[in-house]
Amino acid sequence: MIELSNVSRTVRSGAGPLTILQPTSFVIERGRSVAITGPSGSGKSTILGLMAGLDAPTSGHVTIDGQNITALSEDRLARLRGEKIGIVFQFFYLLPSLTAYENILVPLEIAGKADPRARASALLADVGLTGRGHHYPSQLSGGEQQRVAIARALANDPLVVLADEPTGNLDSATGRQVIQILVDVNRVHGRTLVLVTHDAALAALADEVIALKDGAVVDRRVRGLGATPPAWE
Amino acid sequence: MTFVLRMAWRETRAAWARLLFFFFCVAIGVAAIIVIRSVIQSVRSTLTREAREIIGADIVVQSPRPPTDEVRAILNQELAGAELARTEVVQTRTMAAAEKGKGNGKVKLVELRGIETGFPLYGSIALEDGTLTPQLLAGRGVAVTPEFLLEMDLAAGDAVKLGGQRFTIRGVVTKDRIDNGGQAFAFGPRVYLALADLRAIGLLGFGSSANYRTFLKVDERRIDDITSRLKERYRDSIVGVRSWRTFEDRLGQNLVTAENYLSLVGFAMVVLGGIGVWSVTRVLVQQKVKSVAILKCLGATARQVLAVYVIEVLWLTLSGCVLGAGLAAAAVAAIPDRLLAPLGIATVAVTPSAAAQGIAVGILVSLLFALVPLLEMRRVKPLLLLRVDTAGEARRGDVISRLVAVATLGALVLVAIWQSGSLRAGLFVSGGLAAVALLLLGASRFLLWGTAPLARSRWFAVRHAIVSLARPGNQTRVILTSVGLGCFFVLAVRAIQINLVDDFLSQIGATSPDLVLIDVQRDQVEAVQSVSAPYVIEPPRIVPLMRARVAGIEGARVHLPTPQAIREQGTLTREFGITYRDALQANERLTAGRFWNGAAPGPPDPAADAEVSISEEVRDDGEVGVGDLVRLDIAGQVVRARVTSIRHVAWDETQNGGFFFVLRPGPYLARVPSTFVGFVRTGEDAARRAALQRNLVDKFPNVSAIDVRAVVASIRTVLDNITLGISVVGGITVASGVLILIGAVAMTKFQRLYEAAIYRTLGASTRVLTAMVTVEYGVLGLLAGLMGALGAMGLSWALATYLFDIRWRPAAGLLSAGAVATAAVVCVVGLAASVDVLLRKPMATLRE
Repeated sequence: MIELSNVSRTVRSGAGPLTILQPTSFVIERGRSVAITGPSGSGKSTILGLMAGLDAPTSGHVTIDGQNITALSEDRLARLRGEKIGIVFQFFYLLPSLTAYENILVPLEIAGKADPRARASALLADVGLTGRGHHYPSQLSGGEQQRVAIARALANDPLVVLADEPTGNLDSATGRQVIQILVDVNRVHGRTLVLVTHDAALAALADEVIALKDGAVVDRRVRGLGATPPAWE
Repeated sequence: MTFVLRMAWRETRAAWARLLFFFFCVAIGVAAIIVIRSVIQSVRSTLTREAREIIGADIVVQSPRPPTDEVRAILNQELAGAELARTEVVQTRTMAAAEKGKGNGKVKLVELRGIETGFPLYGSIALEDGTLTPQLLAGRGVAVTPEFLLEMDLAAGDAVKLGGQRFTIRGVVTKDRIDNGGQAFAFGPRVYLALADLRAIGLLGFGSSANYRTFLKVDERRIDDITSRLKERYRDSIVGVRSWRTFEDRLGQNLVTAENYLSLVGFAMVVLGGIGVWSVTRVLVQQKVKSVAILKCLGATARQVLAVYVIEVLWLTLSGCVLGAGLAAAAVAAIPDRLLAPLGIATVAVTPSAAAQGIAVGILVSLLFALVPLLEMRRVKPLLLLRVDTAGEARRGDVISRLVAVATLGALVLVAIWQSGSLRAGLFVSGGLAAVALLLLGASRFLLWGTAPLARSRWFAVRHAIVSLARPGNQTRVILTSVGLGCFFVLAVRAIQINLVDDFLSQIGATSPDLVLIDVQRDQVEAVQSVSAPYVIEPPRIVPLMRARVAGIEGARVHLPTPQAIREQGTLTREFGITYRDALQANERLTAGRFWNGAAPGPPDPAADAEVSISEEVRDDGEVGVGDLVRLDIAGQVVRARVTSIRHVAWDETQNGGFFFVLRPGPYLARVPSTFVGFVRTGEDAARRAALQRNLVDKFPNVSAIDVRAVVASIRTVLDNITLGISVVGGITVASGVLILIGAVAMTKFQRLYEAAIYRTLGASTRVLTAMVTVEYGVLGLLAGLMGALGAMGLSWALATYLFDIRWRPAAGLLSAGAVATAAVVCVVGLAASVDVLLRKPMATLRE
C-alpha cells in the first residue's frame, strides 16, 4: 500500500545541508495500522509529509497504492490526496472562516462528489457532532475540532489516513475519544492508518511500531497478523 | 467549479467587512469617473441637440467689419436658389447709464446686440412675459438681463442711455441660448435693441470694434455644401463661416476631449485605490497562507485555490464599483442648479455609458492590482502545516509573478490610454503616476533608512515606534504613497494658485491702470485727456490701436507673398493689436537694427509705406529679420512696412501695453482706420472711478470704459472656483489616503494586539503604548506631508517657469503648514484606529 524505497531528506540550514531523514525503506500493507514514534526532531513528521506528498524526498521514492508519487506535480499530488489520503494534524487546521459542516464539505466539493451534503451530515454524526455543524472552529473545543478534522479526513473515503500527533494538543479524556475514532477507522472501516505519536499507549494500539532516532529507523516491531490487538479502555 | 464558487462565497462572507473597506477606495475613484463623464456627456448631448438653437441659424457668416459689396455678392451667388431666410445681427459694446436721478447712478459696460426682423431664425429668446421680437424693440426699445437691472437698480419701463441716446426697457430676458459667435468672453450683460437704432446712434463708426453677422436659413440638403463653398470663397478674407453642423461637430469633439482628459483624474484615484487593494491583498495572502495549505492538503489544485481568491476579489470589486456608482448617482443628484446653469444644462443624471466605463475601469484596476499578490498563493506548500520553516521557501524568484507584474503595468497603461482617448495623454499620465509612485516608494525606503538611528534612541517609545515602522506587513509604503499623493494634489493646486494670483496681482500692481478706455476716436483724444484730468493721479496715456493681420512677408529667410501662404506657414495667422509711436517704452529694449527718431518725413523706400519694429517673438515665429518687408492688412487697408528694428519686450511689465508690431508714424496713417486706447489711473477710490465713468459716458457715448479692478475681481472668482474644484479632488484623494490608512491599521491589528499585550505583560503602561503609536504615525505623516509639499513645490516651480512663464514663489508658509497638518491628521487617524489596541486587556489577547 505504502512503500518507501531508500527515501532520504536533506534540508538547507544556516550551517549547511542538514539530513533530517537517512535513507529509509519500509512497506506498510493495506489495512494495517502503523505508529511512528521517536523523540522530537527524529524525523517522524518528515516521513509523514513524504507519505502525504507534502514534501519531496532528496533521494529514493515513495509509492502509494502502486503509484510512484515522487515525480508527480503539485497539482497531481493534491488530487491524489483528495482521492486516497486523509490527513489529521496535531493543530487540527480547520479553515477558520468555515463552519464545522462546511469544513467537512470542502474535500467532497473539491473531488466533485455527488450529494456532498448528505455525506457531510453523516460524517458529522459519525464523530458525534450532530447539532454542532453550524459552529465555527473558534466556537468548538479542541476535541471537537479534532473530531471535525477526522471527519474531514475521512470525507472521500481514503485508502490511507495519516495522523500527526492527533492527541498532542488535547487533554487525556478528549484524547481518548479521538483515539477511539481513529482506531475504528482502521479496525471497523479497514483503512490503512499511519500515526505519528509520542504517546506510547497510543502507539501500542497499532499493528506495527516504527521507532526513529536522529532521522533513522532504529526499531521496527510487528505484532504479527492474526494476533489480538489490545483493547482500548 | 462548484467548489471554487462556494469556497469564494464562504471566504467573502468571512472577510468582506474588512476588505470592502479597501474596495471603497476604488469606489471613490469609480464615482469620480462616473460623475465627470456623466456631467460632460449631459452637457454634450444637450448642446449638440440644441446646436441649431444656439447658433440661431443654419449658417452664420461673420466679420469684424461691415460686409463689403464683394462679400455680399459672393454670399448672394452661393445662396442662389437655396436661401429661405436671412437676417443681420451686429454686436458691439458701449457704456450704459441711467437717466439723471434714476437708478443708483452707476454706468456699466454692456454688449449691444442689434437685431432685425426674422431674428432668431431658430429657437427663441424668452422674456419674463413672452418672447423677444424685433417689433418689440422698434423705436428705441431695449431688452436687458435681470442682472443688468439689479446692478443699475432699474426696472422694466425705466429709461437707459446708450451711446448718449435714450432707450426704454421693454423686456427682461430670462433665457437666451444664442451664442456670441464663438467669442468666449463677454464684456458685460447683453442688451438687445433694433439694428436700425444701433446704426442710428453712431456707435458703428470708422474703426470701432463690432461684430457683423448674417444669419441664414437655407435648404436643409444644401447646408454642408454651401458652408464649404463659402468657406472656400472667403478663405483669404477675414470673413468667417459657421454652420450649426460644424459647430456641433467641433463642440462635440472638444467636449469628448475634455471628458477624456478629466476622467484621468478619476483614473488616478482608482489607481490610488488599486494600490490600497494591492496592499490589502498582500496582507490577505499572508493571513491565508495556512488556509491555502489546508485546501491543498484536502486535494485542491493551485489553480482552484487561485480561482477562489480571484473570484473573491472580483465580488468585492463589483460591490465596490456598485457602491461607487451609487455614490456617483448621489453626487450627481446633489450638484446644485447654479453650478449646472453656466454649463448650459438644467439636469444631469448618471449616463449608462459613464457608469459602464467607471465600473469597467474599477474592475480592471482592482483585479490587476490584486493579481500579483494573489499569485503567491500558487506557491504555498502544504508542507508548512507540518514544518513551519518551509513557509518562506515559496517566495523566491517566481518568473510567472514577474511576468504578470509586467503585464499588469502594461495593462494599466492601456487603461490610461483608453480613458484619455489619447496615446500621448495616456502614456504621460501613466508615466507621471509611475514617477510619483516610485518617488514615494523611494521616500519610504529613505524613511526607514533615515529613521533607523532613532531605533537606538534613549526613549523606549521612540525606539519601538521606529522598529514598528519596519514591521513586516506594516503598510508603511502604501500609507506614504496614498497620503503623500493626496497631500501633493492639495498643496500643488494651492501653490499654483498662489503663484498665479500673486503674479496677476503684481501685474495689476501699483502702476497698472484702473480704467481702460476703448474705441476713443482720434479727434476725441485731447478732450478725453482734459475730462479725465480732475479724476486721475497721473495723466492718462492714450495710445493708438489698430487690428491687423499679416498679409505677406518678403524676407531674406522666408517668402510668403499671400495671406494664404501666411496661413499655411501657420505661426503669424492671428489678428494682432498694433500701434504707432516714435519712441521705445520702458519695458522694451532694442536687440537689432535702429529705432526711428520721430515721424517719417515721407516714403524713403519705394517698396514700403512705413517702417516697423517687431518683437523677438515675431522674429522667431515668423523668421522675419531686419530689412525684410512685411505687409499688414489693417482693417482692409494694406500697409507695406520695412522691418528696421527688433525689440525685446518684457511682457510681464506691460502696464503700458506690449505690442508685437510698432509702426513709425507717418502720413500713410491717415488712410488707416484706428482708434485709441486709454490707460487711466484713478487710485483705489471706487467713487472717483465711477464718477469718471459717468462723466465719460455723458461726453463720449462711443467710448467704453472697462473697470480693470472689476475684471480682476471676476478673474479671481474664476480662479477661486477652479481651485476649489481641484481642491475637492485633492481632498477626496486625501480622504482615500486616510481610508487606506485606517484600513491598513485595521489589517495589522492582530499583530498589534499581540505585541501590545506582550509589552503590557512586560510592564508598558497605556501612556507608553500611546506614545509609541503617536511617534510611529507622527513620523509617517510628517514624511508623507514633506513628500507632498516637496512635490507640490517642484510642480509649482515647473509650471510657473515653463508653462505660465511667471516668477515662481515657493509658498513656504502654505507648504510647511500643509506638511504639519498632514502629520497631525495621520497621527490622529492612526491613534483613533488603534484605540482598542491601546485599551484591550492583555489576557484577552494572549488567551486566544
